[in-house]
Amino acid sequence: MNIRPLLSLLALALLPSALSAQPVPAPPAANQAIDTASGAWEGIVNIDVSVLMPDYREPWNAGQPSGGSGTGFLIGKNRFLTNAHVVSNATRILIRTTNDPEPHPAKIVHIAHDCDLALIEAEDGSHFDKLKPLEFGGIPQLNTEVIAIGYPIGGDRISVTRGVVSRIDFRPYSHTSVDSHLAIQVDAAINPGNSGGPVLQEGKVVGVAFQGFSGRVAQNVGYMIPVPVIKRFLKDIEDGRYDHYVDLAASDFPIENPAQAKALGTGSDGVGVMVGDVEPQGSVGDLLKIGDVILSIDENPVMNNGLVRFEGELMDMNEIVERKFAGDTIKLKYMRAGKKLEATVTLKRFDPYVRLGAQYNQRPRYIVNAGLVFQPLDRNLMDAHQMRDDTVNYVFDNFLTDKLYVERPEPVVLTNVLPDEVNTWITPYAHSIVDEINGVKIKSLKDVQTALAKKDKPFIEIILLEKNRPLVLKRELAEAAHKRIMQTYNILEDSYLGDE
Amino acid sequence: MKLSQILLFLALGAATLPAQTALPEAAKKKRAPAAPEGAAVPQQVVQSNSLVKVNATSQPYSLHMPWQKETPSGRRGLGVVLTGNRVLVTGQMVADATYIELELPATGQKLPAKVLAVDYEANLALLESAPSDKQQAFFAGLKPMAVDSGTRIEDKVDILQTGRVGELIKSELKIGKVLTRRYNVEGSGFLVYEANNIVRSEANSFTLPVVKGGKLVGLLLSYDSKNQVTTILPAPIIEHFLKDVADGSYEGFPSLGMELQATLDEQFRDYLGLKPDAPGVLISMVMKGGSAEKSGMKKGDILVAINGFAIDSRGDYKDPQFGALSSSHLVRGRAYVGDKVEIKVIRDGKEVTLNGELTRRKPDDYLVLPYLFDKGPRYLLMGGLLFQELSRPYLDAFGEDQRGGAILRLTRIALHPDKYEEEGRKKLVFLSLVLPTPSTQGYEKLGGQVVNKVNGKAINDLNDLADAFKNAKDSVHVVELNDFPHILYLDSFNAERDNMRLLGGAYRIGSLKRLE
Repeated sequence: MNIRPLLSLLALALLPSALSAQPVPAPPAANQAIDTASGAWEGIVNIDVSVLMPDYREPWNAGQPSGGSGTGFLIGKNRFLTNAHVVSNATRILIRTTNDPEPHPAKIVHIAHDCDLALIEAEDGSHFDKLKPLEFGGIPQLNTEVIAIGYPIGGDRISVTRGVVSRIDFRPYSHTSVDSHLAIQVDAAINPGNSGGPVLQEGKVVGVAFQGFSGRVAQNVGYMIPVPVIKRFLKDIEDGRYDHYVDLAASDFPIENPAQAKALGTGSDGVGVMVGDVEPQGSVGDLLKIGDVILSIDENPVMNNGLVRFEGELMDMNEIVERKFAGDTIKLKYMRAGKKLEATVTLKRFDPYVRLGAQYNQRPRYIVNAGLVFQPLDRNLMDAHQMRDDTVNYVFDNFLTDKLYVERPEPVVLTNVLPDEVNTWITPYAHSIVDEINGVKIKSLKDVQTALAKKDKPFIEIILLEKNRPLVLKRELAEAAHKRIMQTYNILEDSYLGDE
Repeated sequence: MKLSQILLFLALGAATLPAQTALPEAAKKKRAPAAPEGAAVPQQVVQSNSLVKVNATSQPYSLHMPWQKETPSGRRGLGVVLTGNRVLVTGQMVADATYIELELPATGQKLPAKVLAVDYEANLALLESAPSDKQQAFFAGLKPMAVDSGTRIEDKVDILQTGRVGELIKSELKIGKVLTRRYNVEGSGFLVYEANNIVRSEANSFTLPVVKGGKLVGLLLSYDSKNQVTTILPAPIIEHFLKDVADGSYEGFPSLGMELQATLDEQFRDYLGLKPDAPGVLISMVMKGGSAEKSGMKKGDILVAINGFAIDSRGDYKDPQFGALSSSHLVRGRAYVGDKVEIKVIRDGKEVTLNGELTRRKPDDYLVLPYLFDKGPRYLLMGGLLFQELSRPYLDAFGEDQRGGAILRLTRIALHPDKYEEEGRKKLVFLSLVLPTPSTQGYEKLGGQVVNKVNGKAINDLNDLADAFKNAKDSVHVVELNDFPHILYLDSFNAERDNMRLLGGAYRIGSLKRLE
């Protein structure tokens, strides 16, 4: 089995953790003080995954087979909760319990990459009918004891580690590398293979172990996904569909400067944070303007640094939005030019954001034409091609900051030119953003298909963003070469545009 | 900046040498082992009474804290004595110089000198020393060296260096290629000789003469010891520079201000309507206000000839001396500012003759200064907010790993200034640093944002900014930026008070602005 380097940063990747192949008696409680009935542990299972990592360099190829292993636990009738990163890009999933050597094939029911959670079920769930699902607790207090249970590296059988709750904070979730949610830090050892396993307190689940730091960076720092995030996920999928997190899509800037407070008209009570940027296509894109002051969200006063007191803790004001679902509303009080205003905002997902994060369970989309390979710009593409072109990097890095998504929702990159007589002079232009083809503005990969279908001129004319000459191919030569190139470079299909 | 200094060294430096040539002479490169000074000189060195050591101290201004200067450092080179007791060195040799002296290799006698003329684009400088008895004595034994522009490919030439006690060290090399390339600042290419050989490295030097038969054929531009490639700043460029200096006012090297695209690709030629064997290149960009634009050249024209020289599909012409060479040399190297130029283009299938006059785009004509030497960067401090005008050296001072975010955005503006120039901006004013003061409370982490308006006034350069800060409304300055957080507020009274505290305070600020 190959090691699967899932979490790019310092995270808890899944490492191979061998499976217990023989019946093993329920592990004795190591310490009576831990209030865990051993029977409950039967529902904590090993998840063995075969994976196909998509190939964004040769998008027509199958990708790289690999594998990994993690932990999951029963939360209802034939419903196992685990991390999204444990089962991402899986081609086969097998569940094994600690006392039973038999592998049970399973499949994904729902997967939420933005909060790194997934729900899977066994194809034949009857084996698990007798097992008792684990129950959820709440947010544990700081400095209270918890245990992490799972199948981490270092052995084959179930493992228990113990520690205390160290910190409760808003943290980046490394699976997509762009999402941040509430996370709880514990000093119980959390190692590769623990991913997706429960963290228990007094026999109840208070979190799902999901990421950590490598030992070189920090010691005894592990993170779990807390119950509010888990419950939100479970509620979101009640309607049979995962709708993703919603976002205000506005950036706040603290009001610490006295001249700023005076100019914006905020009082001495320390309430109100300045709007520093607004995404025009976000939930408040039509409502808020730069320089507005947000006073409260759902009657929770927002402090001058953007924090709110919520459920007894100081939290980022976004935590209130985090708990909501697509289509829910929030009540926003804000001030503009000294005037207090109030509005109800319907929350929605902010799509341009998704492109900036890692994406999974997707076949790479592409179009090959006369050896020219076109692919949509996203993080997967940037990572695979190691893009160094200034324009491509600028467009990716400033997709939000300079609102580039408004004009070009899905920038298309000429990622490769497969050399042939027909295109030999334009091979140096690989790694360019495509601006226009045959007079059609390219706003998505689909536009490339539409544009290439236009055959009113004897030339295919491709305008690249910030490159100083158009690329031109004689249509008859390009069409003759296309088939030849497909054969030479062993490409079965000349495009994949997605399922829809 | 550290980085740019290192680059400078790499570019120029690898080859080098102490210089202590005695006036003696040596015709062949084999000479007796270095003799102690004063001892009998084994062989005669013909050229050496035309070379003087040049020692310069360089101290650039800090780009990040522009009110102060960086650590001074020494530069050495071997200058060439020309007529009129003038000494030719590279421009790099004297960049940001605070003190320059000439030294006789044999006796160690020294003489202070100053820069008479310098062109950082052509990388050339001419030094002189005020007339005095000492000056007369210094130059008495020196003989001017003639400049020889007749070098051809395959010619053998010598790079000269001097050893510890003044002995002449020669590295022979054969000119292999003649091409155009930019020297050490941003801008278009100049003529370059290239040769492959091993150059013995004696010491770091910013100027080394290249000679043939006792005449100057160029100055060493760079030596890449790994690939053993030497590039030479050639005599034709030196002659151009000297001729320009001689008439009393220095104009510099002209340019057309356009970009070419080769038309070797048959399908591209067909698309452009070019016949298979016809010459010509596509004009893909015509710079605003440049010679080409003034002559009537348009983007999309096919350039076919300049001053009677046909331009081929690579953009080269046939030089009588060097063979195929970039057409840019026709203007830059072979013509002068103010010269007439005749350009033939094909437009809509017909040949059109354009007549124009050659001009030079000065560094200050650029939205983003391409280089900055000898002067301090312009800046303005207000209450702890430091504003500067964007320059290439500022951007180049950031390493590859620091280039994300704001620096990436600013670099992009430097590469594509058109949009900002069209807005009427003369320079790009940006918030470069925030010094912590009571006025800047909450703004400490900002930096890298372009300034659009202050107190309602559009900011096209730092002078605009200085004016705008005179008009606070209700004693609050409003600074509008092009990036998050877009608006900053500054109390005008407190900012003035903090300005006074900054003067002579912990940051050792002597002046709140440099606008000259």
